[in-house]
Amino acid sequence: MDINITFDTSWKDEWLQRLNQHGPWADWNIYNLGWQSIEETAVENFHTLYAPKYLEHLQLYPHQIEAARTVIEKMNGKAILADEVGLGKTIEAGLILKEYMIRGLAKKVLILTPASLVSQWVSELNQKFFIPAVEQRKEYVWEQADIIVASIDTAKRPPHCDIIEEQNYDFIIVDEAHKLKNPKTKNYQFIQQLKKTYCLLLTATPVQNRLDEVFYLVSLLKPGYLGDAETFQQSYQTEEDQEHLQKLMKQVMVRNRRQDANMDWPKRTVHTVDIEMSQEERDLYEEVSKLKSSQTPIHPFTVLTLQREVCSSREAAYLTIQSMIKEAEGNEELQQTLQQVIGKIEQVSLHSKAQKALELIQQLNDKVIIFTEYRGTQLFLQYFFQQNGIKAVPFRGGFKRSKKDWMKQLFKNQAQVLIATEAGGEGINLQFCHHMINYDLPWNPMRIEQRIGRIHRLGQENDVTIYNFAIQNTVEDDILQLLYHKIGLFENVIGRLDDILEKADSDFVEQHVSDILLQSKTEGEKRIKMENLTAFIESKKEENDASGGHSPVS
Amino acid sequence: MHQEDIHQFLKTFFTSNDCTILSDQEGVLGVQLTVDMDKVLMNRPFYWHYLEKIGGIPNPMQLWLKTDPESDCQEPKAESIHFGSPRLQQIFRACREQGRFANMYEKCQPQAAAIPLHPWLVVNLKAAYRSHVHKDERYSIGLNLANGEMIDNFHQLLRKRPLSGTIADYCFTVSPIIKPESGFERIRHWVEENIKSKDHSWADEAYQLWKQHLDLLHTFYEKDQNDLDNERYEKEKQALKEQFEPRIQVDVINGGLFYLKPGS
Repeated sequence: MDINITFDTSWKDEWLQRLNQHGPWADWNIYNLGWQSIEETAVENFHTLYAPKYLEHLQLYPHQIEAARTVIEKMNGKAILADEVGLGKTIEAGLILKEYMIRGLAKKVLILTPASLVSQWVSELNQKFFIPAVEQRKEYVWEQADIIVASIDTAKRPPHCDIIEEQNYDFIIVDEAHKLKNPKTKNYQFIQQLKKTYCLLLTATPVQNRLDEVFYLVSLLKPGYLGDAETFQQSYQTEEDQEHLQKLMKQVMVRNRRQDANMDWPKRTVHTVDIEMSQEERDLYEEVSKLKSSQTPIHPFTVLTLQREVCSSREAAYLTIQSMIKEAEGNEELQQTLQQVIGKIEQVSLHSKAQKALELIQQLNDKVIIFTEYRGTQLFLQYFFQQNGIKAVPFRGGFKRSKKDWMKQLFKNQAQVLIATEAGGEGINLQFCHHMINYDLPWNPMRIEQRIGRIHRLGQENDVTIYNFAIQNTVEDDILQLLYHKIGLFENVIGRLDDILEKADSDFVEQHVSDILLQSKTEGEKRIKMENLTAFIESKKEENDASGGHSPVS
Repeated sequence: MHQEDIHQFLKTFFTSNDCTILSDQEGVLGVQLTVDMDKVLMNRPFYWHYLEKIGGIPNPMQLWLKTDPESDCQEPKAESIHFGSPRLQQIFRACREQGRFANMYEKCQPQAAAIPLHPWLVVNLKAAYRSHVHKDERYSIGLNLANGEMIDNFHQLLRKRPLSGTIADYCFTVSPIIKPESGFERIRHWVEENIKSKDHSWADEAYQLWKQHLDLLHTFYEKDQNDLDNERYEKEKQALKEQFEPRIQVDVINGGLFYLKPGS
């Protein structure tokens, strides 16, 4: 057996020198402690996890330890971590990294995340894992620090990407890796050209049922593992092939489900808050609905969007109408119709929904996170709460990293309410808050699950309460009553939804809902079509229960 | 390592480094650092640089360590210390740094005749096995430089002997036959042979996995061979080498000459 043994002789050289000079020599106690420290820290076994011994203060769940073990022993440190939201992927990644560091296999480490998550990673690694990670703020940090957390969007750009190339990292972690499914993007190519001795790809959403996405993600990690792009597409056509693919995926992907992870989850209670519109608001809603049959026909989809916006706030609708007026340049008649809507907007003096939210927040007298889909609503609510003596801070995806941290801190320490838009929700952990208001509802059930995942996650010590606001007799009502309640979306304490939606593809649900709402001519038709959709989702659910298993791909 | 062991370890460390123990209760250790220890542990080079520039009076810090997290220590600056804490790891490193070279004599009771002490070269080593898996092996080898006898686990024997930095009056040292340098080479040779004779199925497995991964990589890049891909291919190949190539790195942790009474 040819094994390369390197014997370090620097000790001998220095020792001989000291012999010549008669010292200096160490005290026996220190000499003894020096060797004792090696006895204590030596890793004597190929297959034991040493990191937990170093992290006694950290509460690790069995599924997290198991995940770390699997990645290290079976996947040799190259894996996709695809746990469901809230199970602690970051903890698993930290645990794996720590183990490799203890074993001396990882010294130069690069962690790439969306900008909004950089400081969260830095503080978790430092506080929970005693890993001295540093945030990449200045160019020189690349060369000075061994363990760096950086925004992927910064890292991929020159001069950073060139410096990174020279650093010879031995451990790379990419968070939110589901964004790396398109090989033509800069992000993908950047990650692809990095040397990845050990590499973890973390993804919050399951690998969807698109074969090519699976292929490109895996090829980033282990090029050739699924063959090459051309043959791959042809190879996985039949059901049998699919099963084979699933087996292959199990070798590179860890995916824990909430129902499998043996943990006490805080309860999830869901309330629907029905809201009645004032007469003025109703007038506005009707006016908007009429646009469908205005003289210059407006695309039904736009009308539907407007209806949803009116349900959220007049501000949200106002912004859209304004831009429509601009676009309608030259079409005076359409502009006039739209101006009429503006007129109606101006007549609305009272926000029934905002009023309700205010009452609820005052009554709860506790931290509340409000989710809305619209910027306009977000701005309005912040103003409205402020007028009523409630401190609220905004949060959205477009904020700079430092601002996001600042807002999160403000919310934690000073403000009662955080008003977030969709894009702002991703990845931030707010387990110190346990009330959530869905001020309006996205039509993609997966996104709701992600919203809830912000607070209903590991570390949440209270039961979680979710309030769904829906205005009676509007599109909101339809989607909540006809769809979400039927499929038991919110009550799904252990998030079985992921399974189902993985099979049914959540974009598909969104698409179908709009189709139904747009194309149904009568209430009855709408109802029946919605029922068909829920029945379809139910059947997927049963299929899933029956098979007992879950497949990453199907 | 239990908390009590850590407490004992720290106490030995600080007293051996001439620090005054301010408080030694159950679960709490308070230490007045010396200037040297402050420089080693407290990470404030600018303060020391500044002080030395202006010639001020040094004011080394106190260090309060909670070896029992439950202890009701009132000291506001007390740090919790446990096996994984960076402070303990830092002190481990300091011990290794300071304790690399020793030269000691066994203490003995006066006897009628002068007592001969045999020179032993002791080398403590760590062998790190690396590939896709990793483990450490420890060797503590003692070589009698007067007669060539070699013993493993020698550190355990040393721990039982009373040792001192100076030789007692009624003792004399036996002249070595083996030179220090060739003694070291003998130990090195023995360790290498010992390692080679062990079971290395881990390395076989590593070579197999390495080859499998190389084959996959090769098929992936075979199709189109433009320059960019070639560069990526080389990089991936390098990554696989680092991940799978079996290798063993042997480092000397510490050692030195120990003059010991024969037998027992």
